[in-house]
Amino acid sequence: MRNITGKQLIVGGAVLAVLIILPLLIPPFGQHVVILTLIFAMCGVAWNIMGGYAGMFSFGQAAFFGIGAYTSSFLLMTFNVSPWIGLVAGGILSSLMAAAIGYPCSKLRGHYFAIASIAFAEIVRIFFNNWEMVGAAEGLTIPMRQESLANFTFNSSKLPYCYIILAFVLFALAVCRLVSTSKMGYYFRAIKESHEVAQVLGVNVVRYRLYAIMISAFLTSMAGTFYAQYILYIDPASVMVLAISVQIVLVAMLGGANTVLGPVVGAAILIPLSEYSRAWLGYKGTGFDMIIYGVLITAISMYRPNGVWGALAGVVRREK
Amino acid sequence: MKMRRVLMVSAVIAMALALCAGPGLAQEKVIKIGALYPLTGNLAATGMDCKRGVDLAVQIINGKYDLNLPFAKTEGIPDMGGAKLQIIYADTQGDPKNGLAEAERLITQEKCVALIGAYQSAVTKTASQAAERLKIPYVCSDSSSPTLTERGFKYFFRVSPHDGTMARNQFEFLKDLEKKTGQKVETIGLVYENTEFGANVGKQEKEYAKEFGYKVTADIAYPANSSDVSSEVGKLMAAKPDVIMHAAYITDAILFTKTFKDMNVVPKGFLNMAGYIESDYLPSVKADGDFILVRSTFALDLAKKKPLVGQVADLYKEKYKIEMGENTARSFAAPFVLADAISRAKSTAPEAIVKALEQTDIPGDQMIYPWQGIKFDPTTHQNIYAKAMLVQIQDQHYYTVWPWEAASRELVWPFPAWKDRK
Repeated sequence: MRNITGKQLIVGGAVLAVLIILPLLIPPFGQHVVILTLIFAMCGVAWNIMGGYAGMFSFGQAAFFGIGAYTSSFLLMTFNVSPWIGLVAGGILSSLMAAAIGYPCSKLRGHYFAIASIAFAEIVRIFFNNWEMVGAAEGLTIPMRQESLANFTFNSSKLPYCYIILAFVLFALAVCRLVSTSKMGYYFRAIKESHEVAQVLGVNVVRYRLYAIMISAFLTSMAGTFYAQYILYIDPASVMVLAISVQIVLVAMLGGANTVLGPVVGAAILIPLSEYSRAWLGYKGTGFDMIIYGVLITAISMYRPNGVWGALAGVVRREK
Repeated sequence: MKMRRVLMVSAVIAMALALCAGPGLAQEKVIKIGALYPLTGNLAATGMDCKRGVDLAVQIINGKYDLNLPFAKTEGIPDMGGAKLQIIYADTQGDPKNGLAEAERLITQEKCVALIGAYQSAVTKTASQAAERLKIPYVCSDSSSPTLTERGFKYFFRVSPHDGTMARNQFEFLKDLEKKTGQKVETIGLVYENTEFGANVGKQEKEYAKEFGYKVTADIAYPANSSDVSSEVGKLMAAKPDVIMHAAYITDAILFTKTFKDMNVVPKGFLNMAGYIESDYLPSVKADGDFILVRSTFALDLAKKKPLVGQVADLYKEKYKIEMGENTARSFAAPFVLADAISRAKSTAPEAIVKALEQTDIPGDQMIYPWQGIKFDPTTHQNIYAKAMLVQIQDQHYYTVWPWEAASRELVWPFPAWKDRK
């Protein structure tokens, strides 16, 4: 097991300190961008566990995101259950859904797994779009409640949201690191290289693939619950669409799949870019912000196909 | 390698420059109002329609025009020392989370004193929530979901009628029709696209059908932007309703019209909405749109009884070279309502504006709508006078046919069979 070096500890500590202090110094829109970045960083880290390590390219993460958002909101609005309990309930439900859908897909690889994941997410979206009990196409408007940590509601300031999602991301990173350095992580990589070889070496491929999907689903679902409590309005068209799944894959791939911190770097580049370019240029309605966004994605995939984090890590190594 | 570095550096510089060239510098004595619209994405055309309406309203308020509209004859708002309105636009891309973010940005960074817009109800929901949290007034004149004014918000006001009122108006029309002509309608077929908008309309129509004593024989929700709707239309035909009510945005409206014709669907009447009155609808279906009834808050032929409508429509056509449509007309209202409130409040403090908004009483003759005026309900903040009228497409134009007293052409009823047309 690789240990964290002193240098890494210092760099990590410095980044964390910046993330803690930064929200205090910027206006609410900046805080919103930080929050959104961290939401997608969390989803990217979660995707990375199944996509980056275990080689299952999921384009259906929006389903887990949406289930997380819907579970906590539904429980809160119908049974007055605390969103914190809803957070765990959503995670468990997402994991169970992931297992239920992952098992029959256990023979699928590469592109076929990706296609199946899109189909799964679309089925979930259409199902929610027609399910009267959870508001169907009208979605759920989560009532603004008394401001408190127990209620997971903060009206006067965004700062608590910043720190909660920061804690979530740290949790996801810890899980990811634990997985990547444990026996499970090596099994995942073996499965990614070759199912057959992994099987011959005694890895229970079906079971470990399911583990990867379930962990990923749980973390993504947590981000979904956070989104619902933050935005206070969800409908299938905003939390279960393919665009969210694609955004999650982009964040992880551009940042650098197969590394613990890659997705966080990816989110830190992509989300502020899309938010600030829209805020500064979107008012003209020319779509210029989208062009910049597109050009950057193309540029990164051309010049840094291993992701930005790979390049950054390379620089650090060379300096040593 | 060198070439590549030069390229990358220049790309970065170009981007930085582009991003720095943000909103222009503010002038003196301006009142900043934030406007949220889907300026890009699949409703971009609609968003631009709304933006033009707001722009024209602001031009009239800030400039000098011989029109019977509030603040038209003076430059700016006299009671505020001639202050002018400045609109800061933000693109929501039709996404509720952007609605929230942009509303907050407009309020906290651009220092807007009030917000307008959003068009899509789902986006208005989150944007107005941000305004409510930050205690900034929000005047909406273009979103129609009834839930918006059912939240008990203190800072949210709506000028235009909501889907519940408009659904009610459709059934009032059917009753009126029976009274006037003896033409009896008994069964209704509902078909609506399955997003926030359509689903809500469907729900309201079902409730009012029950209240007014009509039987719903078909209740069909379908996914928006379908590429084929023959099975939906087949189901409608099997149910043989007297009247078909269709709620859809523009692309579905065009597809359904073509399918209705291909499959020869001839009910006594079509009572449709939204997409059927967008500026792109008639150019694409041409004469096939004839005799369809559409609910609306505006029609150009209102000019016959209200010269002001004609004057504004001419001004619009002169400026943008296209006809003024319903979306534009709806968005046109909000800047006047805000200017009126700010003028009476003699202040841009949010609390003062809200207080003035609650006392708003703009007479109908100073607006381009067929309503008695604008006055907000004290608890819901919905305009109590807002209602829909019905227009019918005849000779590829929209003509007001109901309420009877506003009609500029005689209603054609029942719907003439497709094969009997030339």
